[in-house]
Amino acid sequence: MAGTNPLAARIATIAPREGVGSGTRALRLLGRIGFHAMLAVVAFIALFPIAWLLLGSIQTIQELYRGMTIWPAVPQLQNYYIAWTKGGFSVYLPNSLFYSTVSMVAILLAASMAGYALARIEFPGRAAVIFLIVAIIIVPLPATFIAIYKLLVDIGLANTRLGYILVLVTGGLPIAIFILRGFFMRQPKELEDAAILDGCNAFDVYWRVMLPLARPGLAAVAVIEFLRLWNEYLLALVMFNSETLMPVQRGLTKFVSSDTPEQHILLAATAMAVLPVLILYTVAQKSIIQGIMEGAVKA
Amino acid sequence: MAVAAVPSARLRSRAARRAVTGYLFLLPALALMAVFTFYPFVQGLALSFQEWDGIGATSWVGFANYRRVMGDNIFWASLGNAGIFGVVGFVLGNILSLGMALAVNSMRRGSTFYRVAYYLPGVFSVVVVGMMFAWILQGSVGILNRALGAVGLEMLQRRWLTDPETALPSVALVYVWFHWGFGFLLFLAGLQGVPRELHEAASIDGAGAWGRFRYVTWPQLIPVTTIVSVLTLLGALQIFGTVQVLTNGGPGYLTEVPTLRVYKEGFQFHRFGVAAAMSVVFGAILIVLSLVQIWLGRRSGGEGE
Repeated sequence: MAGTNPLAARIATIAPREGVGSGTRALRLLGRIGFHAMLAVVAFIALFPIAWLLLGSIQTIQELYRGMTIWPAVPQLQNYYIAWTKGGFSVYLPNSLFYSTVSMVAILLAASMAGYALARIEFPGRAAVIFLIVAIIIVPLPATFIAIYKLLVDIGLANTRLGYILVLVTGGLPIAIFILRGFFMRQPKELEDAAILDGCNAFDVYWRVMLPLARPGLAAVAVIEFLRLWNEYLLALVMFNSETLMPVQRGLTKFVSSDTPEQHILLAATAMAVLPVLILYTVAQKSIIQGIMEGAVKA
Repeated sequence: MAVAAVPSARLRSRAARRAVTGYLFLLPALALMAVFTFYPFVQGLALSFQEWDGIGATSWVGFANYRRVMGDNIFWASLGNAGIFGVVGFVLGNILSLGMALAVNSMRRGSTFYRVAYYLPGVFSVVVVGMMFAWILQGSVGILNRALGAVGLEMLQRRWLTDPETALPSVALVYVWFHWGFGFLLFLAGLQGVPRELHEAASIDGAGAWGRFRYVTWPQLIPVTTIVSVLTLLGALQIFGTVQVLTNGGPGYLTEVPTLRVYKEGFQFHRFGVAAAMSVVFGAILIVLSLVQIWLGRRSGGEGE
């Protein structure tokens, strides 16, 4: 392969052959150590901030400010209790769970229906719809939150749960449709044909045959969407005034600005906002990472 | 022939029924996108020619909002800051993610741990990342300054987020820490698509590590590089939450970014028309930039073949 390229051939002749002398062997050992040290250092930098947050969240304020403590003398679980009760997290966390779950289910339903139609049903205008969805994914539209806020005010859905969920769902649709359509396209056609012969209508085929087949795709979309929904901040920032409606990310910045909590309580509050994500990532890291990598290859 | 030219009524009605079925399946998704994607897009354009305080009625003001945006030095400075985030995220982020992807891809065992660890920051929210680093970079008791003090580097200690010299670089580095894992995973996926036989063939031909990278791996990675570059640059330009939590644009306006500017213009100063005009200008810049980048990627892809 490289031989067909004249430049590559020249490089190849210049490039040193792999040596076997003892000097090179020592050098190679050094290189290997350096290689693994580099990998480990980068891993440390990636993991340190969350570890530091979690360790700090169970310390007393004195331990925290003295800065000598890694593991506290007595783990201070009451930091979490204070954030839960006084910080309003007993409201924010259930809110987030509700918004994320409802939106995720709605995205899976609407996107799988659309993805199925775009993969398997031939109708006029299908190419145009696909083009439209790809365009929404590709074209960067920054700061649409101003116009969305205006719309929500106009139709009376600002500062409501319904308004928040509807916008969240819409934001997740294009990519979910795109991924699920790819999934449906790769399923064998025979099962569908058999179901139609058995007298199933289009909805039955979708619901009873195709959805169960697409379960791995649905799971990947579900997890990745759940993370996005749980972490959403900007829309929640602009559309909620009532603390009782706020999701956890918005609640966290509200807590900081209105209560100016002490550092140890703030760390516990932040930990509560991130723990569900950590648990989900630990459990589903395989499908999250695979989903991102496969999505990249397809795009 | 005659059958194909004049489809029977039954065939036609079957096609019509299929069309109805197709659109019924699409209805929920299309209805939502029509109301919450397309309508706001049009309304955003309209709002950029109107005045609105967030509560009352709107009134048309012509190009007044755009004139105001043109004269808003802070907005243009914020674009410059976003450009710095973009360049740092692009250069540093891409070097880091490509380098680490090459390293992890060359491992025989243990690569799963590094994959999981390196992507971990990417699953956090902007608020959580902001809180974490506000604590790490805190001036008097933050761990970074303490660590510097412990190894005798007191002269490097700073109030990282409020010192005019370090605020912007600090936020930029936090941004890279937050997002490089995404490019890492994409590069890794691209590398796994490079057939091993190509490498073996090149080795037999006598290609060294650099030669193999330059003439075997790199041409295969160009499509991924284009995607990663477009996404990291566009993402960095649209940075919002991390900046809002870490510095809120300060000190002064040294770390102000366009999205934060739009937010303040609307929700703090109640000039929603000006905010809409800003987002239109900002959006136009981003679209041009992404088109240029895709075009550049195509061109260098052609050269590699």
